Amino acid sequence: MAQQPNIRYYKPKEEFSLDIRDIESFVYDMSRCIKCKGCTWVDHTYMPGAKFMTRCPSATLYEYDAYGAYGKLRIAHGMVEGKVDWNETALEIVYACTLCGACDVGCKRNLDLEIELTLEALRVKAVRDGVGPMPAHKKIAENIQKQHNMYGSPHDKRSAWVPQDAPPADKADLLYFAGCAASYVNQEIAQSTARIFKAAGTPYMLMPDEWCCGNTVFSVGMFDEAKAMAERNIEEVRKTGAKTLVTSCAEGYRMWKVDYPKLLNMATEDLGFEVLHLVEFVDEKVKNGALTLTKPLDTRLTYHDACSLSRLSEPWTPYTGKRGWMGCVEPRLKRRRGANGVYAQPREILQEIPGVDLIEMPRTRENAYCCGAGRGTKEAFPELAQFSANHRLEEVKEIGAETLVSACPFCKNNFNQAVRDNGDPVQVMDISEVICASIEA
Amino acid sequence: MAIPKEIYKVFESIVGPKYVSDDPVICEAYRSGPGGYEDGLGYERVMTTIPGAVIMPKTTQEVQRIVKVCYRKDIPYVPYSTGFYGPRSHPHVEDALLIDLKRMNDFILDEKHFYVEVGPGMVYSPIQEECMKHGAYVVIGGGGAQASAIANLIGDGWSPLSHRIGLPHRRILGTEVVMPDGELLKTGSLATGEDPFWGEGPGPDLRGLLRGYTGLRGCLGIVTRMAIKTLPFQPERLEPTGISPNTALALPENRIKWINFTVPSKEAQVQAMKEIGHAEIGGAVTKVPLFWRAIAKAECKEEFWDIWGKETPESIANFFIVRVLLIGFTSEEQMAYDEKVLMDIMEPLGGVARRTKPSDESWIKNADSAGMWLMCGGYVSVDYVIETLSQSTEHGSSYAELKKKYTPPLMPDYGDPGWFQSFELGHQGYSEFLIYWDPDDDTHPVDQFYVDTSKMNIKNRYYTSLLGPHQPLYLTGPKYGPNYHEFLLKVKDEFDPKWMSHPPVPLAHDVFVERSPWMHPMKDWESPGDLPK
Repeated sequence: MAQQPNIRYYKPKEEFSLDIRDIESFVYDMSRCIKCKGCTWVDHTYMPGAKFMTRCPSATLYEYDAYGAYGKLRIAHGMVEGKVDWNETALEIVYACTLCGACDVGCKRNLDLEIELTLEALRVKAVRDGVGPMPAHKKIAENIQKQHNMYGSPHDKRSAWVPQDAPPADKADLLYFAGCAASYVNQEIAQSTARIFKAAGTPYMLMPDEWCCGNTVFSVGMFDEAKAMAERNIEEVRKTGAKTLVTSCAEGYRMWKVDYPKLLNMATEDLGFEVLHLVEFVDEKVKNGALTLTKPLDTRLTYHDACSLSRLSEPWTPYTGKRGWMGCVEPRLKRRRGANGVYAQPREILQEIPGVDLIEMPRTRENAYCCGAGRGTKEAFPELAQFSANHRLEEVKEIGAETLVSACPFCKNNFNQAVRDNGDPVQVMDISEVICASIEA
Repeated sequence: MAIPKEIYKVFESIVGPKYVSDDPVICEAYRSGPGGYEDGLGYERVMTTIPGAVIMPKTTQEVQRIVKVCYRKDIPYVPYSTGFYGPRSHPHVEDALLIDLKRMNDFILDEKHFYVEVGPGMVYSPIQEECMKHGAYVVIGGGGAQASAIANLIGDGWSPLSHRIGLPHRRILGTEVVMPDGELLKTGSLATGEDPFWGEGPGPDLRGLLRGYTGLRGCLGIVTRMAIKTLPFQPERLEPTGISPNTALALPENRIKWINFTVPSKEAQVQAMKEIGHAEIGGAVTKVPLFWRAIAKAECKEEFWDIWGKETPESIANFFIVRVLLIGFTSEEQMAYDEKVLMDIMEPLGGVARRTKPSDESWIKNADSAGMWLMCGGYVSVDYVIETLSQSTEHGSSYAELKKKYTPPLMPDYGDPGWFQSFELGHQGYSEFLIYWDPDDDTHPVDQFYVDTSKMNIKNRYYTSLLGPHQPLYLTGPKYGPNYHEFLLKVKDEFDPKWMSHPPVPLAHDVFVERSPWMHPMKDWESPGDLPK
């Protein structure tokens, strides 16, 4: 029979922190997963029906439980307890994942577990155990080391995108961080962004020597390398005296706003400058009248929430505390649940444009289905990236949209490739291009 | 001994190499614990193991072929739809084949005949959404919107909406079952054709064997297809609102609304439920555990404990709530009429309508069961009974009393008698008792409490679900029939003479008690010496 202890509910408090360098920081989270699969299903309140039921690309494609967060957490827990070890399958399971955060917001609705951080920690462990990252990721890291960009393109061509009609200033309060994609592959995005700054009457400057933000390096678990890049880039921006850093890339935005502070164990607000995505900048300028979107764009258009701009974009605050009885923590932890992501601004901008018929896909905002390109996925698992883009395009076709708009070059490129491969009658645009088209004479 | 390679190759030939795996990492992901329903308890630690291999069929024919191989080659297997139901839906013996049915997620809606037809991989919320688009609705069982509808319906399958919709075995229509030897059994009208609109027969209604009262976790076969009855709903759209974690359905109050009443006493609570049922109004009438209000108010688990910690046995003993869902099924006028009738019932009972949000966070489309783990990490609905309304309320109180002996490690709940409500317009009363604990505490008393509840139920003569194979069968069976255990074991032997389908269910809890030294002092019943080891 049960015994009445002298001290009711006594449990020693254990120190812990949200430190992705140590997988054991997240044993609590791994051990509390209940297989509700809220990480995989669309929020049931928003469940659109028997089509488009899931929000996890990896679990949708590979289907075994191992590929959902509930499986990954059990595998990680098994590794911590010494029940399983790395093998080829484990490596694939850990890296064939877009780290899109859908699982994290799903779990935060039910159990408040730190799923995204656990998956990041698992990749750091893979690297530190000498098994990760994947060969394609190592190639990117090598490219960055040699040319400071993920493609291995000549570093001296990084600013070749700069348009003559909207050149940067030598000195300005606003610094535009173009990133690798917009500098080399999607120059139309960087050029549109520069023209938007000009139209808004806001001078911009560039970093004197812009390097890769390190998104892929961080995302695949190369913590030390990513940290060195964070230190270098933050220092370079601080030297410029910029008050605001603007990106047009969702992945870059997340790096600057969330992951640099995470890597350096500091709060986002202590960076010394504000980090904005272009849509936040434009939204404010439209609202205060500095920018008007007048040129019509007659199209039935839908907006795809880039994961790193939406559910993954809440600011970072370091946390160290104690966990005690019933898993309660002190001091109180303000959990990042994706509720304050950048969801409204791009939609409000698009609705300002004459002629635009903005319609939503069945899965939107925190329930959006990742395009499949980001965080090292497309390079190492192109079949997952292709599957995800095609799966998302099914939604675009379902609602009869003519134009698909996102706010990240990785989304645009992945969707564009799928549209080309399939011959789909869908126009894929970055939101910077759409905005630019509506302000240009 | 792992699954032999030559048999593994046969499995590959059935489903294709992509859909079968014995990789230890893939199998580890199918571990039951450490978190979840009953996980971390003795039953999970003592009785479950990872599968020897996992296979994912797409069709009934593939399931039949897999099961036939297992039956012929003595490979134990376990059907698995979502894995949410904790250790009891996971392998209990080494080197079992886990048959993951998630790819069998077909969905057909027959609008004309008011039913849906689903595979075991289809979960509830998409079904409800499709139904509501076509003017119909179903019960999302308390197991949650993420539960497989088939698994839930052959296990539990009720919720507050059962006030009007009724019990699950009346909603199961034509059904297809792969028997343990691989033969295909079709019940209801599927037995004579392809239309599953009818559930009973032919001959004796096999739904009783299939699910009994709360199901047998696949030990008598695998349901691969089921038609589920739907009922007419009101026509207006329930619009999803908010952003995770605070999402809800906005209710058009001219056609559907919740009203929370406080009443002066437990007697008034029960009387209100009886009279509401008698008047045949309402879509749901329920009294939920009081800490659910704290869950709804809290932004995080720490805040939950701040709020709940302010309660006392007195505050709980003196707070009585009746939660009513009104639905204007046919018209706004019907809704207005029902509301007047409701007020006429509640006023003389001292009921006071409280301000109630015009939204639904849980029950219509999202039975929020997963949130039950938020506050403590360990949770089980230890018992649920369907009795009369007056008897079911006594059930909760007796549980609350017994629970004191096991608190801690059970969560302090200040004597809250749990959840009770009306079923089938007050014809039945439902009582469910939920327990919570910190999994890092010593959980042996939780295991003991679980069995102790059976003894209490036997003593108090509750017609209760868990006097079946979810408890030691040789404890409960002789009291439940008096030969329920013998009958069930004969059925098992007849259907599955080699005990390949999810062994050792239905004797698993007996085996658990035998294997667990901390349970031995509780064993005061007879059982044979040849239980499976």
